Formats: sequence, C-alpha cells, structure tokens
Amino acid sequence: MTGAREWLSRIRDLPRDGPVKIMNVCGGHERTIALSGLRSVLPDTVALIAGPGCPVCVCPEEDVYQAIQLALRSGVMLVAFGDMLRVPVNLPKREVRSLEQAKAAGADVRAVASPREAVQLALRHPGREVVFFAAGFETTMAPVAASLLEGAPENLSVLLAGRLTWPAVRMLLESEDSCLDALIVPGHVSTVMGLGEWSFVVEAFGLPAAAAGFTPDSLLAAIYSVLRQRREGAPFLDNCYARVIRPDGNPAARDQLRRVFGITGANWRGVGPIPASGYVLRPPFDRHDARLRFPDFAQAGRKRAGDMPAGCDCARVVLGKIRPVECTLYGIACTPQSPVGPCMVSDEGACRIGWTSGERPHAAHH
Amino acid sequence: MCLAIPMEISRIDGYTARCTAKGIARDVSLFLMQGEPLAVGDFVMVHVGYAIQRVSPEDARSSWELFDEMLAAENGRA
Repeated sequence: MTGAREWLSRIRDLPRDGPVKIMNVCGGHERTIALSGLRSVLPDTVALIAGPGCPVCVCPEEDVYQAIQLALRSGVMLVAFGDMLRVPVNLPKREVRSLEQAKAAGADVRAVASPREAVQLALRHPGREVVFFAAGFETTMAPVAASLLEGAPENLSVLLAGRLTWPAVRMLLESEDSCLDALIVPGHVSTVMGLGEWSFVVEAFGLPAAAAGFTPDSLLAAIYSVLRQRREGAPFLDNCYARVIRPDGNPAARDQLRRVFGITGANWRGVGPIPASGYVLRPPFDRHDARLRFPDFAQAGRKRAGDMPAGCDCARVVLGKIRPVECTLYGIACTPQSPVGPCMVSDEGACRIGWTSGERPHAAHH
Repeated sequence: MCLAIPMEISRIDGYTARCTAKGIARDVSLFLMQGEPLAVGDFVMVHVGYAIQRVSPEDARSSWELFDEMLAAENGRA
C-alpha cells in the first residue's frame, strides 16, 4: 500500500499548472485534512475547499424552530443527534433559541447516537409521543429507513431533515461563479449509494473526480488522482477507497432507502431550495411523519433562503466561498463554547473543524 | 455524526451484532447488511449504530490508528 509520504512526493513532482481548487463535501474528509495539516504540506497552487459536507449546518432554520416548539409546547419527548442540540435559530436572545435551551427550560430533549435509540426510547415510553428529529445525509438516512422497516412503535414519529449530497454539488457546479476544478467524492455516502451517482461531475462538467477514504494517504491519493487527471486532460471518476466503496454501493441499504423515502425538493439553510435534494416518508411509513402528526407546529412562514444568524457567514462557509477564518465572527464572537452559527456547532462544520485543528482568527480582525 | 468507525463482530443474534473497537463494545444493527453473510470475527464499518459495509481487518486497524492520532491532535490543540 502506498503511504501518505509517497503520495505527497508524487503530488509535488507533478508539473504546476496554476491554481487548482479541489472541493470536498464531507465533514469526515475535512476533519482529516485539517487535523493532519494537509493544506500546509501541499503545493501553494492546490487549494482544498470544504463544501456542503455538514448536514447539521444545512438543516433548515424552520425545522430547528419546529423541533424546539414541539418540545416546548406539545410535551413530546424530542430526540435528536447530539450535534443538533446547540444549533441556534434566529430569535431574540431572551427567547428559547436552541434545543439545549428548551431542555434547560424544562422540555424533554434527549441526545441519541443512533436511530435505534430513538426506537428504544419510544418502546420504553409507550404513553409518550416521541419525535425523532433526523438530520443527515444518505449515510444517516439509510439507518433511519432501516429503523422504520425493522418496526417502529406508533408513538414514534420522525421530523425528517435528511438531504442528498449530490444535488447540492450539481447546483454549485451549475452556478455561474463556480470556479471549482475537481471534486473529492464523499467516502461513506458512496459506500451506501455507490459511485455512479457522481459520474455527472465528469460527464456533464468535464471535471476530475475521485472518491476518498478517511486516512491521509487515501485523501492524498485522491488529490493526486484529480491533479493528474487534470494535467492529462482526461477526467474520469476514480475510486481511491475501493476496498470499501463498491460500484453499486450497498444494494440492501439502497433498496431500504427507496422503500421508505420518496425524493422531494428541499430547503438548505444558507443555500436555499434545491430540487430533488430531500427525503419524504412514503406510505405506509408516512404515519410516522411528525409534520403530518403535528401540523399546527409547521412554520412554513419562517421559510426563507439565506437564513443564518445576523452577522454570521456560515452560508458562504457552507458553499466553500470563504474559509472559516475569513468570517469576522470566527474565533471572536463565535467559538465552540459560544457558537453563533451552525458551522461552529457541529463536529462536521468547517468552522468547528478549523477551530479544533488550531486555526485562529487573523490579527486584522481585532 | 457522519464519522463511521470500523468494528469487529464478536457475537451475532438475529440482526443485532455485539461489536468491539479498541476495547469499546456496542450493539450494532446488521439490518442494512442483508444479503452479505457476516460471521464472528468479521469487520464492519459502523455509522450511527448500523453496519453499512464490510471492511478488511487491515483497513480497520489503519482507521483505528488514524482515530488515535486525530484524538491526540484534538486534545493537544482544543
């Protein structure tokens, strides 16, 4: 197996062709890139951009608001992945602005690490309405589908905020100001869905693409691959995580996703609506749809694009338009202890990852 | 949330497997692995409590080493 050092020297040996922007769309990739310091060892001409790889960051503000209101006013037990609890909504400071604050105000809010725990909580509390606030990409939505297919009790409903990753990438590449040169294809999304759904990057946009795993050597192999594809003018969809990503992904998981969910247009926080990028429960699983079960708590009026907190630049961070340190709040008004926007809350948010890997604000901001 | 971790299967009971990684044991669902025969001693990639794919023992070990390094990096800087 070729090690990280070898890939790095191959990258350095490639002739330089001017600046190259390579986007990743996975919080796990960004973590490895940031924590192993890949940006500092690559040639200056190679820019690694963190794109929309954080499902918590793009979860619509109106959905977080609805979850908070459900927990506060309906007496439901609200369960969510731990990352969701501190995500703030746009309300004045005196109001309840996050699930964590709702919990402090007496609401029954619980963090879970798996959809199975949501099912188990519903089974243990048969007299309670349990709402599972489920944000996530394909890798998380397949387990959500499985948990419903395995048999969920009637007192469990799901407030679905799942998203498909590839439509957001397609939208970015279609945007007029896109200046991306290559894509690192997300490793575990592809483990579930297969590699084929990323072929549009090559076929429709003529850009190099390579799927990567989560070790530095796998990411460097993918970076080398796209640089070389670009150099040779022959882009293709490479698989640098072939031991785990099979061409057809995980067929059982894909089948379960299809049986439980339809695909619908969906709003992305900070980005706006993207066609065919969200999930909706199909019959008969729609009896577990929290939006149908609690229609009074749907807040369609809150829906609007670009709805990050005031002064927060998460929208441009999510789209890879700026690095976290370029936001004037980063590390000053916005820190992991006191986050303003979702990108500093989630372990997969580019700001949180940047902070954790030691990136500090430029002195000019002080 | 999206971070998947390789684990070794130590017991299987229906769709539930007892899995271990570096001394930590968890119950993991094999519901998404239907059609992929799995046995005690096999390694799977686990995401939010569900096995999503089989992995080799070598890949599992290199991922564990990486997690150790990243945790050390985080603890040193955070």
